[in-house]
Amino acid sequence: MKTHIVAFALSIIISLSARAELKWEQTMIELHPTPADKQAIGHFKYQNPGKTPVHFKSVHASCGCTTAQSQKDEVPPGGTGEITATFNIGDRTGTQVKTVTVETDEAPNAKTVLTLKTIIPQQLEISPTFVFWKQGDKADPKTITVKAGKEFTVKHIKVTSSSPDFQTKVEEKGNGEFQIDVQPQETKNVVASTLTIQPEDSQKVFYATARITNAPTIQ
Amino acid sequence: MRSPLVRQILILVALALAPGIGQAVYFRHKVSWQSPIPPSELVTVDQARVWGKNVIWVDARPDDEFASDHAPGAISLNEDRWNELLPQFLAEWSPGKKVVVYCSSLSCNASREVARRLRKEAKLPDVFVLEGGWEAWVKKNR
Repeated sequence: MKTHIVAFALSIIISLSARAELKWEQTMIELHPTPADKQAIGHFKYQNPGKTPVHFKSVHASCGCTTAQSQKDEVPPGGTGEITATFNIGDRTGTQVKTVTVETDEAPNAKTVLTLKTIIPQQLEISPTFVFWKQGDKADPKTITVKAGKEFTVKHIKVTSSSPDFQTKVEEKGNGEFQIDVQPQETKNVVASTLTIQPEDSQKVFYATARITNAPTIQ
Repeated sequence: MRSPLVRQILILVALALAPGIGQAVYFRHKVSWQSPIPPSELVTVDQARVWGKNVIWVDARPDDEFASDHAPGAISLNEDRWNELLPQFLAEWSPGKKVVVYCSSLSCNASREVARRLRKEAKLPDVFVLEGGWEAWVKKNR
């Protein structure tokens, strides 16, 4: 009976493996770009170990922020190549998982999903990125907390307000933590300021917004 | 003592489950494993329409798609240019306004991410994701 079970299991494994002609070196890539990088690029390498050519029918990225390209349309027997997936980081933060679906003519429904996982380093965590006062509110200061990311050392930060209508004061709390007190001159008029937050010795700039808003909308 | 039949069944079940469990562990961080958006954070086109002018429509699609077409009065806010676009959105926001974020419903996660950042980073209340996305809006309005 044991022989039957093993034979059954083997037949399933063999039948499954016979379907897949393109052999992928890896279908999941994890990338760790630097804070200065604009793009993260993954190279998914493949080989055709079969005896017939394999044609790509489509290569489709899951998101507009990711492009995917195949070097060739046809992979001859024994041929190798790669799908290049380019993820545009933009102003994204945190862990981003994007997929590329590759469809070939090797078998019906022969789709391979390639996964590009990008860990975007976050030098500063700012909370909240928006402080506001309603018109007529008391012009009390509001606090923005800034914390250095796990892999970064930030000793000092520089904060600049784009408008003289808001004053800022930075307090260093130690261990890479800072407190920014933001205070409007007055709250009579609808005004706004972009607060530029820059770690010392870094080109990277972060932003927060301070604003006097209209009175609440009547619902 | 178990009968041989039970043992065989157990072995077959274990064999059948092994690839699934392996995939579940290996691909645990894939998008498809993300929890669905809670119903309280979703809104339909009809529900949003009832809110009338109290809604700010936010288009989370890439710039070219927004330039091609968008909901009237919608504000572009995508993660490609988040730092540049966010102040423009905040200029339109005021307390009491509801925010409805949409993107293309076809394999797109942008509206969910934009809504999450507005809630978590800017600490805005009443931020919703449009159920069915841009395609649902077009179906109801064109």
